[in-house]
Amino acid sequence: MEENAYKEKSMHEGAPKKPLIQAVGDFFKKDLVQYIVKRLLMFIPTLLLISVLVFFVIQLPPGDYVSAHIAALATEGEFVDADYAAQLRADYGLDLPVHEQYIKWIKDIIWTPTDSTYYRLYGSHHNWKYSFAYGRDVWDVVDDRLGLTILVTAIIMIFQYAVSLPIAVYASTHQYSVGDYISSIIGFLGAAIPNFILAIVLMYLSYKWTGNANVGLFSQEMLQNGIHLYNFGEFLKRMIIPILVIGTSGTCGIIRSVRAQMLDEVAMQYTLTARAKGVPERTIIMKYCFRAAINPTVSGLGGVLSSLFSGSTVTAMVLNMQIQGPVLFKALQAQDMYLAGAIVMVQAVLVVIGILFSDIALAFLDPRIRYSGGGR
Amino acid sequence: MKKRLIALLLAGTMTLSLAACGDTNDGQSSSPAESQESTQESSAEESTQEESSQEESSQEESTPEDAPPADVTAFSEAPMLADLVQAGSLPALEERIPTAEDVYVEQVDAGGNPLEIGTYGGVINLLGAGGSWGLSRPVLESIIHYNSDGTYYANVIKSFEHNDDYTVWTFKLREGMKWSDGEDFNADDITFWYYMCHLTDYDTKKSWPALMETVDDAEAWATLEKVDDYTVTWTFVNPKFPADFIENGDFKWCWAPSHYLLDMIPDSVYVENQYWEKTGLSDEQVLLNAQAKGIDAATVGDLGKAIAYYWWNEDGIPNLNSYVLTTKEGNNSRDAQLCILERNPYFWKVDAQGNQLPYCDEIHFNATSEEGQDQLMFRSGELDIIEVAMQDIASLLADLGDQAQLRELASTNWGSYLITFNYTCKEENYAELFKNPKFRQAISICVDREQVSGLLTEGFLEPGQCAPQEGNFGYDPEWETKWTEYDVDGAKALLEECGLVMGADGFYDFADGTDFVLTLYTYTDSGADAAFPVFEQYYNKAGIKCATKDIEVSAFDTEIDNNDWYAVLGPHTAIGGVSLKSRVQPFVPIAQSAEWYGEYGTYYGTGGQQGVAPEGDMAKLIEIYEKWKSTPDSAERDQYTLDIYNVHKENLWTIAYLKAAGAYSLVSSKIHNYPDLLVSDDLYQYQNIIHYWTLFKTE
Repeated sequence: MEENAYKEKSMHEGAPKKPLIQAVGDFFKKDLVQYIVKRLLMFIPTLLLISVLVFFVIQLPPGDYVSAHIAALATEGEFVDADYAAQLRADYGLDLPVHEQYIKWIKDIIWTPTDSTYYRLYGSHHNWKYSFAYGRDVWDVVDDRLGLTILVTAIIMIFQYAVSLPIAVYASTHQYSVGDYISSIIGFLGAAIPNFILAIVLMYLSYKWTGNANVGLFSQEMLQNGIHLYNFGEFLKRMIIPILVIGTSGTCGIIRSVRAQMLDEVAMQYTLTARAKGVPERTIIMKYCFRAAINPTVSGLGGVLSSLFSGSTVTAMVLNMQIQGPVLFKALQAQDMYLAGAIVMVQAVLVVIGILFSDIALAFLDPRIRYSGGGR
Repeated sequence: MKKRLIALLLAGTMTLSLAACGDTNDGQSSSPAESQESTQESSAEESTQEESSQEESSQEESTPEDAPPADVTAFSEAPMLADLVQAGSLPALEERIPTAEDVYVEQVDAGGNPLEIGTYGGVINLLGAGGSWGLSRPVLESIIHYNSDGTYYANVIKSFEHNDDYTVWTFKLREGMKWSDGEDFNADDITFWYYMCHLTDYDTKKSWPALMETVDDAEAWATLEKVDDYTVTWTFVNPKFPADFIENGDFKWCWAPSHYLLDMIPDSVYVENQYWEKTGLSDEQVLLNAQAKGIDAATVGDLGKAIAYYWWNEDGIPNLNSYVLTTKEGNNSRDAQLCILERNPYFWKVDAQGNQLPYCDEIHFNATSEEGQDQLMFRSGELDIIEVAMQDIASLLADLGDQAQLRELASTNWGSYLITFNYTCKEENYAELFKNPKFRQAISICVDREQVSGLLTEGFLEPGQCAPQEGNFGYDPEWETKWTEYDVDGAKALLEECGLVMGADGFYDFADGTDFVLTLYTYTDSGADAAFPVFEQYYNKAGIKCATKDIEVSAFDTEIDNNDWYAVLGPHTAIGGVSLKSRVQPFVPIAQSAEWYGEYGTYYGTGGQQGVAPEGDMAKLIEIYEKWKSTPDSAERDQYTLDIYNVHKENLWTIAYLKAAGAYSLVSSKIHNYPDLLVSDDLYQYQNIIHYWTLFKTE
């Protein structure tokens, strides 16, 4: 052991091993704080630009909420006269030019004054406006499913990384072994089968085998009484299909990319050197190769926050899961623009924050990455 | 082999059920009215008035014979309510329902078949309630109720009468009737609705024609007077005939719970009246009051619509329906994953043995997010009633055996796979061509209907034409087969007679050499986009070049409204939609809603300010309609309706290739009293005709 430790240390001459806390401290001391502040300031124009894009893209389809609403009513046998449609447009401000609508929208989100009706009704300075389709405050609608969406997506993500990273490491260190082939086959199948088909097949099998298709995350009983300890088992049972469906597809991607990176790293000079110097294989793999190999995965984490917020839309719809994705879908369909706008905006903010986090994490993983003086 | 056998069996079942449907409609036209006049209801004659009998017997009709049938001597209630009475948290049953004379005794279904006496308890599981009307369909109690043959009877009100010249209509209410929160339901709730919710346009529906008339060339509204706590009168200047008043399908209710809504009526909408004073509330104050009651609204306009129009979608607002929306958080919104309606403990209907309805404790609406989930949930017993497409019936029934029963609601549409043209098309040459009946005949006969039936519906829907379907008023076998004989050469000859000239590319051009392209609009999810390729090959064979434009429904409607279209396959507002002799409106160009009359309807609807003035036979329809409107005589009205139909038969402004599809439901065998062979129509409020309050469930 002693010998090994020495050899390892000798690889980084002039870089004596530091305790972890000190390493983290140093890490944050350097140019990082300045970098974060700069990035945070950059958020403002970025988000404003995104908000403009979001607002105008949502307005792109012909017609507006009122026309979509009237069309929906017509299918129910109710016909609305033109006066009422005009009244609705005036009430909602949809008769204003688009740029005025945008300015009003973004102004109210940023700050709604204390002497406004909105503040007196909801006690909030951020008016995300009203969801036409749900007939409620936008934030109420979003909030309804936020907790569940985060819970479900987090469980699925933990599953994804917990399963895929060990498999990827195994597959790369045992290249062309039976285990590698099996994981590759499963990986390719998982990546190739569209989620929604897998979901349907699993629901069908579940129905065939158990007599219950497990459509949705909750039983009727849970929907009435909520989730408690006594029915948590049932909830987990109902999570099996979503985890398998959403989890496996992501898993495959991670396995493939980490495996490929690992194979590259394993063949690198420094690995060879370490091995020649007698560093234990486990240390080589986990401390050097793996750390380098998960770089692309970590940089992909930028989208994690956003997907925690929205969940997987298509699969959620197939499985009748009550998470945010289908709400966005419905809002876009109904041209419920403030609701759609709010969801897309929050997603955008989370992507921006997520990218910042992943950049910081990358720097921590790979000291070669620097924040300033580009072009090195 | 096995597949073929199933297919044969299925075809057999379908033929039988379709045949049965036709028969029953015929049968229904006589039986229910007869049987119901004696049995449907307590309030004897006036409650099951057929149109004609009601007209003959004007003035006073409801008198002493308003007694419950002899067998209803005592009333009983659901055990869960009995427990509450026992515990002292609910008044005794007799105090909750109308007096014995006025309580409503439900004995037959809308088809006139006697009801089975049910047992209490259980939950009816339905699919999620989509749309603004979803929660109301199964449970809404309206002024009158229709039987499936078009006869009707007083429902929430005890009776309705009119004076000799039809200028005064009197509604009598049921004594002792309560709102679902236990407050009295009386004439004040009607004056409140009319003067505080309707005439203020707070409900956004001041345009209801039932209560409007024209006086001195201006719009005027009926005068509502409270005679006593249980009597109100509606007075008009001109005669207001039944077709335009009590039978007007929009006029579904005329009440609102004044005790609950008063603090949500702002001064800003107030109109002067003799019954209600200003509330002194600002817009913001009513929004705050509404929020305190759990009603979220961004504007006063939204609030009015929510509480005075779509009131069934807000929990806490008392109503008169059999089931009311629960106040339990999480289940109290139509958008919830599980939305629950609970039994109304004050419901005012009983069965023939005096058991208070409804039988079941709750109705659950289970939201799904994709097609097909409902079938899985039905199979696993999580849903009790689902609607099914024809092609899915066989496989489901084969799997489920006697666990499910098939129920059909006949359609009142005039056919399926419809194509209609823009007769007011902005491009003159297209408009002229479409107006030529020979062109429409060519479009009709160039398609092999037998083959279309096989290709698109696996033979389920028979070839047909755009005409009243068998069993409906005005059915005419000759009309049904007009222009249906497949004849490509005949079609080409007709097109040439229309002045089209065959071009070098093998497709017809206009006489001036410009290309003729038949652009068919379809809206997404109408199914028409999938049907287009089938029709395209027939049209091409006849030398017609065609294209399709498939767009989202709201964009589709916008283009129709803007008159930016040539022809549609699968119109949004298909012609038909009514089996009744009493509603002729869908067949006359009087609104901006249906594609078959396009801008002609806008012209009438806007009093000639917009749109295109109808000409020829389109104008004739309006002429007959005006006469139809101004006669109280139902036989005469029927004749006018037939005259209108004849103009349609002559012109066939819309072409149908196949007969109309009915609506099919699969109902769990645990559910009882679910009738078969009724009619699905807006006037009947679709599933409302099922009378959900009479359904019960056995394990």
